[in-house]
Amino acid sequence: MSFLIAQSLINGVILGTLYLMMAIGFTLVFGIMRIVNFAHGEFYMIGAFMALIGVTWLGLPYAATLALTVVFAVLLGALVERVVFRPFRSDELSGMIASLGLAMILQNGALIFFGPDPQAFPAMVSGVLRFGDLIIPKSRALTLGIGVVVLIGFYVLLMHTRFGRGLRALVQDQQVAALYGVRLEIMYPLGLGLGIALAAVAGALMAPLFGVSPFIGAAPLLKAFIVVILGGLGSIPGAALAALLLGLIESFTSSFVSASAADIVTFALVVAVLLIRPSGILGRGEA
Amino acid sequence: MSSDLSINGLSVNYGPVEALYDVSFDVPRGQIAALVGSNGAGKSTVLKTICGLVAPSGGEIRVGGEIVTPRPGDALKLGVAMSPEGRRLFPRLSVEENLLMGAYTVSDGAASRDMLSRVFGYFPRLKERRRQMAGSLSGGEQQMAAIGRALMAQPKLLLLDEPSLGIAPIIVAELGKIITEINRDLGMTVLLVEQNANMALSLAETGIVLETGRVTMSGSGRELLASPEIRAAYLGI
Repeated sequence: MSFLIAQSLINGVILGTLYLMMAIGFTLVFGIMRIVNFAHGEFYMIGAFMALIGVTWLGLPYAATLALTVVFAVLLGALVERVVFRPFRSDELSGMIASLGLAMILQNGALIFFGPDPQAFPAMVSGVLRFGDLIIPKSRALTLGIGVVVLIGFYVLLMHTRFGRGLRALVQDQQVAALYGVRLEIMYPLGLGLGIALAAVAGALMAPLFGVSPFIGAAPLLKAFIVVILGGLGSIPGAALAALLLGLIESFTSSFVSASAADIVTFALVVAVLLIRPSGILGRGEA
Repeated sequence: MSSDLSINGLSVNYGPVEALYDVSFDVPRGQIAALVGSNGAGKSTVLKTICGLVAPSGGEIRVGGEIVTPRPGDALKLGVAMSPEGRRLFPRLSVEENLLMGAYTVSDGAASRDMLSRVFGYFPRLKERRRQMAGSLSGGEQQMAAIGRALMAQPKLLLLDEPSLGIAPIIVAELGKIITEINRDLGMTVLLVEQNANMALSLAETGIVLETGRVTMSGSGRELLASPEIRAAYLGI
């Protein structure tokens, strides 16, 4: 029993890390472009496939693959900003529709290239870590560790560097940010690229645990929505709390009840938060 | 006398609406100049055009002798910083982060820290509230932060758009005093745009009156304050 609890705890925290990465990238893209990016989950899928290509096709080490995934995702994000989103900046409805189209193109593109079957991803490390009675597979510990490092790195970049300050200023008042020398033509593609890179890294990190297929993007996108609703749009502490809560609820409910019960509990929680506190657990009144 | 700002035959149209027509004036280096006029006269348009937020349809703007092109950020390179109308702070950045945004393009860190302590010297209240979100400040404090942010860019020419708007008279008087100090201590040229003609003209060495997009009068601040037309039209005396 205590083994099951510990296992659920670890799984819940890993899921929480994944959801937080998805939610922060999603919020960043929304903040910068004012576009609800329905293609966000597909970048998770692309990240997972990139990791698969890097590790099994090219035989690269996992660390190098992750680094390449980030670089590729930022470039892809910049391209998407230029080609797909830029014409719809501040046009929320058209932008949202464009992102739906993009999601379809990416998913079907992956279907053509890789086929519909789930592909196994080789384990990066084998063996377990023991802390007394607690047993953690090393692969999960690695995923969790890298995920936390990526999140902390991202937080420091956003909150404690000149670049991050410029990006946050841009989100709040584009015109005044430009007036003080924030270069929009660089910040838009780079900001979007970073948001998308977070999704891609999440995909690459989770690939060894959950496998890879063209359809894996939908669930993380949905969870990103839920985290944003629960935590409050634009609140990073709120999102962190909500992501962790969501991960733990899911993992404990599926361990002790069933996987479908986990979805029921999650959505009940969303409904409750929307009824009782529509701005989210730690959210502000306005978006 | 050399001019920091020289505007020559400037015209601006918003679609079919003529916002400025053949506006010309100079602001001599090191002076405080006031651009006054009623609501909708085009005062803010002049400042926005200098900063490249609005493209002119004719005429030219020179800062320190160089022509300014209508691109945001260009004026900044020539040493122009603006505190925009309505203050426009970044509400979810702290007061200190807002000030640092003013120095976004200043690469000299030591100079920025020096200016930050000067700004805190002028506005001690900002220092007390440096960690607070800018959106939670009072109107007067926000105006101080907006002026401070513009100072952080270490400009040669400081543009202030309606600093007295929506602010208690006692704070307006304090701001006026500090603007004079800034001009004197830092040798910054200041162009002040105001509906509050009394405050602006009493600070300014040069005054320019704008009416429906045209310059109708100019002269020293004292002259304008004494002129019967100005007194009747803007001071309600």
